[in-house]
Amino acid sequence: MSENETAEMTTLLDRSDARLRDDSGISGTLRGFFDRVRSGDLGSLPVIVGLIVIWTVFTTLNPLFLSSNNLVNLLFDCSTIGIIALGIVCVLMLGEIDLSVGSMSGVGSALIGVLWVNQGVPLPIAIACALAAGATMGAVYALLRTRLGMPSFVSTLAGLLGLLGLQLYLLGNTGSINLPYGSAMVRFGQLMIMPDWLSHLVAALAGLVMLVMGLRRIQQRRAAKLSSGGVAGLLLRVAVITIGLQGAVYYLNLGRGVPWMFALFVTLVLIMNYAFLRTQWGRSMRAVGGNAEAARRAGIGVRKIYFSAFILCSTLASLGGVLSAARLASASQQAGTGDVNLNAIAAAVIGGTSLFGGRGSALSALLGIIVIQSIANGLTLLSLSSSLRYMITGAVLAIAVIVDSLARQSRQSHGRA
Amino acid sequence: MSKATSATAKGEPILSLRGVCKNFGAVSALTDIDLDVYAGEVVALVGDNGAGKSTLVKALAGVHQPTSGEIFFEGRPVSLSSPSRALELGIATVFQDLALCENLDVVENIFLGQEIRPLHLDEVEMEVRAWKLLNELSARIPSVRDVVASLSGGQRQTVAIARSLLLDPKVIMLDEPTAALGVAQTAEVLNLVERVRERGLGVILISHNMEDVRAVADRIAVLRLGRNNGIFTPDASNEELVGAITGAVDNAVTRRAGKRSPVDAAAKEHTR
Repeated sequence: MSENETAEMTTLLDRSDARLRDDSGISGTLRGFFDRVRSGDLGSLPVIVGLIVIWTVFTTLNPLFLSSNNLVNLLFDCSTIGIIALGIVCVLMLGEIDLSVGSMSGVGSALIGVLWVNQGVPLPIAIACALAAGATMGAVYALLRTRLGMPSFVSTLAGLLGLLGLQLYLLGNTGSINLPYGSAMVRFGQLMIMPDWLSHLVAALAGLVMLVMGLRRIQQRRAAKLSSGGVAGLLLRVAVITIGLQGAVYYLNLGRGVPWMFALFVTLVLIMNYAFLRTQWGRSMRAVGGNAEAARRAGIGVRKIYFSAFILCSTLASLGGVLSAARLASASQQAGTGDVNLNAIAAAVIGGTSLFGGRGSALSALLGIIVIQSIANGLTLLSLSSSLRYMITGAVLAIAVIVDSLARQSRQSHGRA
Repeated sequence: MSKATSATAKGEPILSLRGVCKNFGAVSALTDIDLDVYAGEVVALVGDNGAGKSTLVKALAGVHQPTSGEIFFEGRPVSLSSPSRALELGIATVFQDLALCENLDVVENIFLGQEIRPLHLDEVEMEVRAWKLLNELSARIPSVRDVVASLSGGQRQTVAIARSLLLDPKVIMLDEPTAALGVAQTAEVLNLVERVRERGLGVILISHNMEDVRAVADRIAVLRLGRNNGIFTPDASNEELVGAITGAVDNAVTRRAGKRSPVDAAAKEHTR
C-alpha cells in the first residue's frame, strides 16, 4: 500500500472510528466473510453447501444425474416453480405467507386451456387474462389482510380450496385440455434453446456488467471519501462468476443448451433482485417486514406495500401455471396440485429467505428451486417411489427451516438480528 | 401561574392547539388541550405517567387523530390525518420507542421513506449525508452500515434524532430523548436541542427529568390527567412544578422535600 493511500485511509468518512477494524483488500474481504458466517449471517452459504452435497450423492448413485441433458431438463423444470417461488419471496419478505400459489398456478393453466384452446382467444390475451386473474386474487388477499386483519395464513388456505374448485369448474367434465403440439407456446415450454453463441455472450456480459458497475461504485465511493473495498476483491468476484458461468454454459451446450424458459426465469429473478436492493419499494418491503409500525411512522404506505406483495405473488404464481401448461402441453386437473405449493415455499426458504419477515432476496428463489428440483430429479432417476420422494423432500425442508431458525438465534445473540 | 413569552419567540406560533380532545372508548386521554409553540423556542411538556403526553405527541405526529379540537400550523387549520401528512407539513417526531427497523442499517433507517432517487437508490449520497448528520450531532456510531439491532440505546436515540432532522422540519418533538442515555450523551442531546432551537425550529421536549427540562426549556407546559395544568418558566420552583404535575401541594413528593432542612433548599434555589 502506498503512502498516499494510507494517508487517504485515515480521512475516510466511514473509517474514522478507532474501534473499527480495517477490512480492505482480499484478506480483509475473506475475514469479514468468516465473521459474518460465524455470527449467523449465512447468506447463500448453506444452499451452496447443500447443493454440492446433493449433487455428489446423486452422481455417485447414478452418473446420469450430472449428464448435460439431464441438467437441461432440470433447468426446464426449475423455471415454472421457480417463478412461483419468486412470488413467495415477496410475501415472505413481509412475514406473510401465500399457501394458495399451487392452486393459483392451476387456475392460470386452466385459463390458458379454456380461453386459448377451447374458446379460440388469441394467446397473448389469454395469458393477460390469466395474469389478471392472479392479480385480482392477490388484491383480495391484501384487502382481507389490511382491512379485516385476517392472517394471510388463513385467507390463503381458504383461497387454496376456492381456487382448486375454480380450476375444476373451468376444466369441466373432460378434466384435461391438451395444448397443440408445435405451437410456439408448447415449443417454448419444451424445446426452445438459446443458440450457443448467445448463451456464451450473455454469460460474458454478466461478468462485464458486474465489473463496470463495481468499478463505478468504487469510483463514486472514493470521490465521496468513503471506504470502497478495493479493486482486487471485485476482480476476484468477477473472475469467479465469469469462469463459473462460462463453464456451466459450456457444459449445458454439450447437451441441448440453455432453455429460453430458464432465461426468462433468470431475467425475472434479476429484475426482482434489482427491485429489492436498489429501489425505494424494495427497501420499504424490508422495513415493513422488519417493523411495520416503524415503517408506517416513517411515512411508508404500508397498505400499498401489502397490496404490491400479494398481487406480485399471485400474478407470478399464475404465470408459473401458464408456463407449466406449456411445459406439460396440457392444462389438467392435476396442474398445481400435490407438491407444487410446498416446493415453491420450500425453495424460497431453502434459498435463504426468512419465514420471519424482513430478510430475503430474489436470488434465494433461484438457488432454492435448483436444490428442490435436484432432489426431485435425482430421486426420479433412482426410480424411487413417490412415497420416499415426499419424505426426503420433507426432511430437506425441515432442515432448511432449522438452519434458518438457528441462524436467526445466532444473529440475535451477535446483535445482527 | 405565569404566562411567559420567551425572549426568542416572535410573532405567530408555528403550531397551536385549541381544545384538542382524544378519547379511547370511555377513557378521555386528552381533554381541551391548548398549546402554542413558537419558532426558536423549546417547550417542555411534563406530567406524571398517564398524563397524556405521549397521546398528545402521537396526535401531533399523525399517528392518532384527535376526537375533537383544532390544530393550527403556521396559522392555518390542518388535519394531521397520517404520519406522512405531519412530515410533509414539517412536524418531525422522535418517538419514545424510537420506531426504528432493527433489520435495516443506519443509513437505511435515516432515509426510510425519504430515499434519494426512489427508482435507483443513490447509496453513496445517502451514506455521505448520513455521516454529515451524525457528525453534526457528534454521534459515536462506528459504522453506518451496521444494522440498528447491533447498536446501543444511546446510539439508537442518535439515529432517531438524525432521521427526524433529515427533512428540515419546522417543529420537532422529542419524546423522552434522554431516558436511555448516559451522562455524556444526555449532555450531547441537550446541546443538540439548543442547536436545533438556534436554527429557528420549534422544539417540543417531553421529559421526566426536571434537570434536563430546566436546562433547555423556554417554557414548561404541565399536563395532568389529560388536561392543561399550567405553563411555567424554567425559574419556577420545584414545589410549583411538582404541585402542578401531581395536582396537589400536599403530596408525597413535597412532604419528602419538606423533611430536608429549609436552609439547604433555600441554598439550592439560590444557586439556580
